[in-house]
Amino acid sequence: MPDSVRRALAAYRREVSVAVALLALLGLLALRAPAFFRAQNLRDLLVGNAPVLIAAIGMTLVILARQIDISIGSQFAICGVAAGLLAKAGVPMPLVGLGAVLAGGALGAVNGALVAALGLPAIVVTLAMMVLLRECLRWATEGAWVEGLPAAFQWFGLGQAPGRLAIVVIALLTFAAFAWGLGRVAAGRAVYATGSDPEAAWLAGIRPRRVVFTTFVFMGGLVGLAALLTSIQFIDVQTGAGVGLELKVIAAVVVGGTSITGGRGRLVGTLLGVALLGALGPALAFLGTEAHWERALQGLVILLAVTTDTLRSAGPFRHAAS
Amino acid sequence: MSAPRRLLCLLVLAGLATSCHRGAGKGDGMTVAMMPKNKGNPYFVSCHQGAEKAAAELGVKLLWDGPTETDAAKQNEVVEAWITRGVDVIAVSVENKEAMSTVLRKARQRGIKVVTWDADAEGDARDFFVNQATPEGIAGALLEHTARILGGKGSFAIITASLTAANQNEWIKQIRLQLAAKYPDLKLVDIRPSDDDRKRAFDETQTLLKVHPEVKVVMAIASPAVPGAAEAVKQSGRTDVKVTGLGLPNASRPYLKDGVLDSVVLWNTMDLGYLTIHVANAVGRQSLKPGQPTFTAGRLGALKVAGDNVLLGTPFTFTKENVDNFDF
Amino acid sequence: MPLPRLERLRGRLTHEGVLALALAIEIACFAALGSNFVSAGNAVEIVRASGEVGLLSLAQTAVILTGGIDLSMGSLLGLSAVLMGAAWHDLGLPMAVAVLVAPAVGLAGGALNAVLVSRLGLPPLIVTLGTYSLFRGIAEGITAGVRTYTGFPRSFLFIGQGHLPGGVPFQLPLLLVAALSFWLLVHRTPVGRGLRAIGFSPEGARYAGIPVARRLASVYMLSGLMAGVAGAVYAARLGQAKADAGTGFELLAITAVVLGGTSIFGGRGSIHGTLLGLLALALLHNGLRLADLPAELAGIMTGVLLIAAIGANRLLSERSRP
Repeated sequence: MPDSVRRALAAYRREVSVAVALLALLGLLALRAPAFFRAQNLRDLLVGNAPVLIAAIGMTLVILARQIDISIGSQFAICGVAAGLLAKAGVPMPLVGLGAVLAGGALGAVNGALVAALGLPAIVVTLAMMVLLRECLRWATEGAWVEGLPAAFQWFGLGQAPGRLAIVVIALLTFAAFAWGLGRVAAGRAVYATGSDPEAAWLAGIRPRRVVFTTFVFMGGLVGLAALLTSIQFIDVQTGAGVGLELKVIAAVVVGGTSITGGRGRLVGTLLGVALLGALGPALAFLGTEAHWERALQGLVILLAVTTDTLRSAGPFRHAAS
Repeated sequence: MSAPRRLLCLLVLAGLATSCHRGAGKGDGMTVAMMPKNKGNPYFVSCHQGAEKAAAELGVKLLWDGPTETDAAKQNEVVEAWITRGVDVIAVSVENKEAMSTVLRKARQRGIKVVTWDADAEGDARDFFVNQATPEGIAGALLEHTARILGGKGSFAIITASLTAANQNEWIKQIRLQLAAKYPDLKLVDIRPSDDDRKRAFDETQTLLKVHPEVKVVMAIASPAVPGAAEAVKQSGRTDVKVTGLGLPNASRPYLKDGVLDSVVLWNTMDLGYLTIHVANAVGRQSLKPGQPTFTAGRLGALKVAGDNVLLGTPFTFTKENVDNFDF
Repeated sequence: MPLPRLERLRGRLTHEGVLALALAIEIACFAALGSNFVSAGNAVEIVRASGEVGLLSLAQTAVILTGGIDLSMGSLLGLSAVLMGAAWHDLGLPMAVAVLVAPAVGLAGGALNAVLVSRLGLPPLIVTLGTYSLFRGIAEGITAGVRTYTGFPRSFLFIGQGHLPGGVPFQLPLLLVAALSFWLLVHRTPVGRGLRAIGFSPEGARYAGIPVARRLASVYMLSGLMAGVAGAVYAARLGQAKADAGTGFELLAITAVVLGGTSIFGGRGSIHGTLLGLLALALLHNGLRLADLPAELAGIMTGVLLIAAIGANRLLSERSRP
């Protein structure tokens, strides 16, 4: 193997292992359930997982900065309801979209303020916000869905096929923008610097607090976008949506190779993580697994992904505290 | 003693002193404490609306509380709190029979009357059960519709709530029994969970249609699952597949009108709440005794009583034709 | 002039002291608002309802002191309860033997966490996120979600529903014994000091001669053991063992621990703080119910209380962690 290829493989080692796992799954499907690869199924998977990818981009930023956000499920529900209420009030769809993203950004800003400005630990802040936001929403809505939306709500009024295309294109464009930005733009590199060593970053002229605040705001905004793209696939908005989203997204990001201790990881890995965990559910159904074993298998995949990654890395014992 | 400690003692004493003046306050009207399985579900919200109307009619003080997510342990704790607080009647939609029956018996021992509604506890744990429809009746109605759509022969699949949901599991059990006994040519291919999430129901139905193309009826037996499954069938373009199930009229209306959703089995949830308060009031005043043949509940008129069950009626089917008459 | 007084006040006030004060205020408010809040019957019920979460909180304190976290406790509680039920009902073991299955399963689950965290050096957050799904998934798989184990013998139900002479619920002596044991372990033994040292600096602890890997392993196994015991108590209290038992309990445990002043980063905290935090949570939920206030409010106030607690902790502590 030429040296340059070997070096590339070593640099992208974590992403390569996820890719291998994904290929293994796809290989198994090719043998046992080739129906998985029909165009309709692949398209449904793309559309269905586009919002998860968008949320995962935000989570990657947050985790790279050595933080975490477990309140995104509740944020998702609120942004979806916001989009529904705006549409019901007669606001045109582009502004509805903006509204959802801004609502998410505002919620993210609250998290960011508590974590960055007050220096409170992210896991506790977002745990508190997760409960607070969810219960506030339940109290205000009593679980009632936002119904009676204008016809232009579903698919942005574009119709099913163009609407689906729009969702996938928006997700891929967002991904491309952030993937490019993280690597090339100074602000992107600041996230890596803050995550790997905030004090060194500060000495180098980066403001870690500002970086952390911004990542939470982006997280919120991206969750708002994800909520929008999910909501417009339907004709009404469920107020109890998004439960368990944080688990799904964090798992995808970590499986994709981003280190929970911050400073290491790539969006390409996140993309592969979302693809692997997103394909897993339907893959198990195609392979004939009964529904009640799915959760156990998902947990196993998460554990295997993080375990094999560590086993392959030659290095001294490190105790990675949370 | 340090200042903070002194303050602490003072506050605790103040608390104890004020608590002596508060008894288990009973007003003129009866206090009925009513609990759904979970407060955030539109199904239970509509039951609440009916209950409020009845409470207003009868001059009953209605306490409405319960877990915000289905949780058998929390239901227990709420009932314990009501026993401590002191109420006249407790009316519960029981998430879990065994878990709740113990605490309900305790309430009865303390002189509190107990009524169950929507989902029952053990027989000796309550005075009356307000039954909207038996699991056998519900399963029967669902299978009747499925058989009709399939023409008596074919494959169907079920989208349920969560895999551990007690009501749904009871219905599925009945469905299996009736399939074996009455519908030998119908085949239940798979059961997938929706975890009460519409998007999940949508995703599971989408996958189901591809993994089992022979399925021609999707039976969605949880209220968020009905619109989720219907939307998935609609978006797949599979006009040969129809959806039936158990859900709420408002969320089902667009799909009923459109033809994807064939029928929705339910009962009038507002009437259920209304009837529950009437029964609770009557039980509290001891004017309703087991064994009497009928019970008159306000605007509902005379309803049948079977032993210690007050029956709302048989399951009702919402269709394209009648769904506009309802709003919940 | 104000500065020295502030310093003296700060010296006097510990997080636990402030929490005790807040508790007193809580008691006073609820006594005024609610009916029969201060009564023997209510006290019994509060202890009973907090039994399982209490056991979990004690173990979680030890885990968090080392700078780790255990998100899999609730799922392990469910799995232990289900396997205990299966041992009794399906395998026909006598109840006295079957009851030992619960802590045994807990220990085994804890061992899995322990191996992954201490031997492989994986981040506890991710490991326990994976086992959170795995344990619950196994419970769901075995029962197919449908199977519920009930009809336990009266002698077993005594653990969760019984009264000792004087009206004392069985949970009280159980909790007291557990609390005392943990308190002695954490505050009076070198092992406990070692845990704190590990949380403060794992490398430093290693150089100081503390067997870090062994300590970590034991703390996660202890956590699993407590989850198993809690599983038995839960099944006895409710009279049934189902796959969804204990859902969300780990978050309640973490809330109690953080309310009690233990730092989520590790190195600082106390068992008595956790007990106060547990009490504060239990009184909050109970008091709001007795005051006829809606359940959503309990969740909202828990979130607010959590943020207030870490905010206060931040103000009171001199140390700043990046």
